[in-house]
Amino acid sequence: MKNTISKYYPLIPVFIAYLIMFLIGFSVPGMWQMVALLAFYCALGQSWNIFMGMTGYVDFGYVTFIALGTYGMSLGISYLYHFEWLGIGIIFIGILLALFLASLSALLEAFIALRLRGAYFAIACIGINEGLRYFIEGAKLWGGSEGLIFSGALMQALGREVANQLTTFWADFSVFIIAALAAFLNMHYMRSKIGYALTAVREDEDAAKVMGINTTKYKTIAFLTSGLLGAGVGAMAWGLKLGYVYPGDVFVIHYTVECIVVVLLGGAGTLMGPVVGGLIYGLSKYWLAIIMPGFQLLIFAPIIIIIIVAFPEGVIGLLKSRLRGTKYKMFIE
Amino acid sequence: MSLLTLMNVTKRFGGLVAVDKVSLEIDEGELIGIVGPNGSGKTTLFNVISGVFYPEEGTITFEGRDITHLPPYKRAPLGLGRTFQISRPFSSASVRENVAIGAMFGAVAEQKTSVDDSLGMADRYIDMVGLGAYRDKAAGALTPVEKKLMEIARALAMRPKLLLMDEAMAGMNPKDIDDMVNFIRKIRDEEKIAIVSMVEHIMRAVAGFAERVIVMHQGAKLVDGKTEEALTDPRVVEIYLGQPSDQVK
Repeated sequence: MKNTISKYYPLIPVFIAYLIMFLIGFSVPGMWQMVALLAFYCALGQSWNIFMGMTGYVDFGYVTFIALGTYGMSLGISYLYHFEWLGIGIIFIGILLALFLASLSALLEAFIALRLRGAYFAIACIGINEGLRYFIEGAKLWGGSEGLIFSGALMQALGREVANQLTTFWADFSVFIIAALAAFLNMHYMRSKIGYALTAVREDEDAAKVMGINTTKYKTIAFLTSGLLGAGVGAMAWGLKLGYVYPGDVFVIHYTVECIVVVLLGGAGTLMGPVVGGLIYGLSKYWLAIIMPGFQLLIFAPIIIIIIVAFPEGVIGLLKSRLRGTKYKMFIE
Repeated sequence: MSLLTLMNVTKRFGGLVAVDKVSLEIDEGELIGIVGPNGSGKTTLFNVISGVFYPEEGTITFEGRDITHLPPYKRAPLGLGRTFQISRPFSSASVRENVAIGAMFGAVAEQKTSVDDSLGMADRYIDMVGLGAYRDKAAGALTPVEKKLMEIARALAMRPKLLLMDEAMAGMNPKDIDDMVNFIRKIRDEEKIAIVSMVEHIMRAVAGFAERVIVMHQGAKLVDGKTEEALTDPRVVEIYLGQPSDQVK
């Protein structure tokens, strides 16, 4: 039994980091927005890393899931707000819709795109993302290019007080929950058969098949998990928090690139990596936007290039290889 | 009933017939050497048996079950293990994890083991191939000979009934070859499994371990028989050494 628990020790530093972030945001006035932004990057990095870190497949279309999650929440609120008896239930319906849309798209994408490898997989995912965006705009689905604006509907359904609390606190708080859940699932997968199967897939997919591994099944599990967590982040941090959704705002590859940067900075395939990467990326983006507004991307690009060239394994990857053989090893994954 | 039966199996790549109407039977516990020059279709034959490619014609049956179009990950748990010509370790994982992956996914359904049990079981096979000192080393950091041994341990951990070894002795020095020959005989006797090992041209090795030899030539089965007879067969001598000069005249 002790053995089973000790396998999950690497979660301790991750949860401590999230707890400290939460406490700082909660107690220091004016810090909540920044902490929420950091939690957003950590959660996205962690979710994206479950698929990419374990399988080595780079999903450039990841933002599709975040966008569909946003739409799920938006649809739930926009179309159901006048059923007063639902009350706070519309938020849960919104979450369910977000998960439903994301799993539908994840399974379809898994069926089509997961047959491809390397750059072809990445391109197929981008194609699906762009296709979906223009489909929503062209077919005038869900408000078409004008999107859905539902902050008013939310207030009407739940009252100003509750709606304010939801958008200013609970939406951000749930991002923390998703980040923690993503870390737990990541850890759990790493220590179970799924993790071993996906290690084999990442290293040599054809050899993995000959070893008796149903590669499609395990890839789909990781893809679906990663997508559903992303949809959760979208539903909360974009949908519920902002109160509107436009296709041109959410189906943006830029956010996938941010996930990639977060994960690579921290260390792909590690548990702690996305947290460290999310903190480095979020803080420096926030800070650069203050001291040099408008120039942050120009400065950030070379910094990222230097870090990735200098530490290709990311901060945690480097730390892991340094700690190999020491007693701290069991806390870092 | 034989363990593995191939009936008129043909595999083409475009216009090239890589495996040409090959029929063969393998019984339980047999030690078979497959020899043949470069390009004679040995590796393709292995790939067709393990399911990497499906044949265009013919049928493959394993323990009486038709597996001709079964995907590779479903063949492995039936009892089909293999190693590769160029070793394909899961490089970033440790030797122990590599072997445990074989135990976890390759065994028949009722013998499937949990992660912990598989890691424990892996140790036995790592010791068997003599890599005990390297069990926590990353598989990618092993020497080529160690990688071959690791692959054998990984395949044995699947507890196969038939083990296909693709060029187990390529690139080894004579001492390593002798060790490997003895080792192949040993695992056959201890694990009671059939082993088919493919060897391109190291006849000394084939004569050392094989009880039966199948000679491939241009995709087809040329000779199939007892080791001594097969290796001295004039047709076999011819494909390796050419015709005796007095016949050319």
